[in-house]
Amino acid sequence: MGNVLEVKELSKKYTKVFAAEKVSFEIGEGEIFALIGPNGAGKTTTIRMIATLLTPTEGDATVAGYSIVKNPSKVRECITYLPDEAGAYKTMKGIEYLKFMGGLFTEDSKKINEFVERAKEINGLGERLNDKIGTYSRGMIRKLLLSRAVMTKPKLAILDEPTSGLDVLNALDIRKTIKRLAREENMSFLLSSHNMLEIEFVSDRVGIISKGHLMVTGRTDELKERYNAPNLEEVFERVVLENEVH
Amino acid sequence: MKFINLLKKELKELINAQMIASLLVVMALLVAMGNMMSSTINEISNTEYKVSLSDRDDTDFTKSLLDQLEKDGSVITLIKTEGDNYSEILKENNLDSIIIIPEGFTDLINKNEKPELITVSRMESAAMMSNISNHTSDVTNLINTYIYKELSKKAGITEEELNYMTSPVNIVENTVVADKSANISVETIMNNVMMKNQILPIVVFILITMVSQTIMNAIANEKIDKTLETLLSAPVSRSSIIGAKMLAAAIVAMLNAAFYMVGFSSFMSKTTNSTNLSSNMDSLKEMAEGASSVGDILSTEAKLSQLGLSLGITDYLLVGLQLFITIMICLSVSIILGALVNDTKSSQTMIMPLLMLAMIPYMISIFADINSLPVVFKTLVYAIPFTHTFSAMSNLMFGHYSLFFGGIIYQIIVLAVCMFFALRLFNSDKILTISLNFGKKDKQKTNSDT
Repeated sequence: MGNVLEVKELSKKYTKVFAAEKVSFEIGEGEIFALIGPNGAGKTTTIRMIATLLTPTEGDATVAGYSIVKNPSKVRECITYLPDEAGAYKTMKGIEYLKFMGGLFTEDSKKINEFVERAKEINGLGERLNDKIGTYSRGMIRKLLLSRAVMTKPKLAILDEPTSGLDVLNALDIRKTIKRLAREENMSFLLSSHNMLEIEFVSDRVGIISKGHLMVTGRTDELKERYNAPNLEEVFERVVLENEVH
Repeated sequence: MKFINLLKKELKELINAQMIASLLVVMALLVAMGNMMSSTINEISNTEYKVSLSDRDDTDFTKSLLDQLEKDGSVITLIKTEGDNYSEILKENNLDSIIIIPEGFTDLINKNEKPELITVSRMESAAMMSNISNHTSDVTNLINTYIYKELSKKAGITEEELNYMTSPVNIVENTVVADKSANISVETIMNNVMMKNQILPIVVFILITMVSQTIMNAIANEKIDKTLETLLSAPVSRSSIIGAKMLAAAIVAMLNAAFYMVGFSSFMSKTTNSTNLSSNMDSLKEMAEGASSVGDILSTEAKLSQLGLSLGITDYLLVGLQLFITIMICLSVSIILGALVNDTKSSQTMIMPLLMLAMIPYMISIFADINSLPVVFKTLVYAIPFTHTFSAMSNLMFGHYSLFFGGIIYQIIVLAVCMFFALRLFNSDKILTISLNFGKKDKQKTNSDT
């Protein structure tokens, strides 16, 4: 199994403070990798660098072999990005939004229609797609955006806090969709979340990040065993404490 | 194709029911205002002078004076009054104005002394048009003329001699513009040209306000909803994103400009036609008295053309080009300013410096000639790129081509500089990280820090 994403000592410095420092990890094909950590830990900065929105101060990352520093436009062809608490154009209908976003990935109208059909299947919004996005609930918008992020079958889908602010049922639905797409379509995911129980359920591997440093990466069961913890939250607590001691 | 996709999306966001409704309302208002102004001016110019008058002297002389006033077209309502409590007189008779011929008026005239003629007018507002229907001063002028003529007659002066004495020389007014001259007065030119010159500055000012606000809100909203992050991470060039936004805003601005131009032209043409009709009526009266000729009245437009003051299609195209460059400058500056704000409220504050830059040349272009300002002020005002747009029509009319084309070149340089910085901003991560929140907690920056 080849790596879709390879992050090598990626750093971002804002004036005097490192928001992310020498972060390194990789994601294989069909793998769901989650960056976990509290607010302000450096998850979003790392994700934004990989999504080519921020220029790294140091280090590099490759997506499907393309460097985010040297070849960001090629990287954008291989990824999709769903920002935390993202919205959509409220004056557009759901279906128009999907067509518009599809049109940014290809100029072939047949392919755009395929993308839209696929998104329709994934989001399950049915007839509501003909309504203006301004009339959607938060859960509906998130489902629409998730379907947009995966409809083009990207090599890597980057989802920042994919279920934040959603009720239990909507969150569960989205988690199931992510898992299904990874298993059935071999799609790779980079997630970020501060909800560690959610991550334990959905991800194959996790990376614990705190104060800009990636402390440890591994499978959740491995980490639980290594740190002798019943769940990921306690693993996180022990990792952070260990880091402070050192 | 991707660019067209982006452009369609931007246009769809900008051209909505609210925008179309507001444009139609503005058009309807301007047309209605034009009609209202036109009918008001026509009413004033066409109708006879209606006044209330109290003849306390009640002599044969004052009676024949009143007869003559009525022959001259005045409609006199005679009212009996007493005393000098004028507010009470107006109140009792439900009047806005009255002329009072006091007792002893005729006696004093016969003694070659100056009698008093009392006028009383109620003032309820300082608005320009509020006292326009008050004809008191017109009628007092007619009274003066009547007495003047009667006294001359008494002194044995014929009407021809009197006309000659009133206007002993024929003034032949010539005006020179650049190297062309025509037999027309400066005042007539000013009356004709001023109205035309006022439309462009108004439209330019509205456009600058509208374009800046539109693009700043568009950027701010994309940042708030994080749709900008989604767009910037898609496989489409940043210059396409910024280009589509600017072109869409420019199209909508030009659409607005067209609507406003039509509206203002309708308003101005109705007002101007009525004013011209009114001034032509006055001229006809003067002509009847031998002070003017038919040619003077009918050939004003021809004389303006002779002086090169009538703009041709090329001139209008040049003005259009300058307007387009102005809009592009506004857009590029607004994109930079839009990147600094994180909410629509801040964008309203951020637009103020840009509006001030438009306001200064706008106000100056209304009240003064920029070229007549002291050198330091003139340089400062011309350093504002919008100044050249406000003075475009005037520069073309009066043949100041070096100023006009110099202005265009300067604006192109300013546009290139602003575009360079706007593109640079959009191509860097600053578009997501910079902001000016004047002490407020910066949500965007907080996210960047995580």
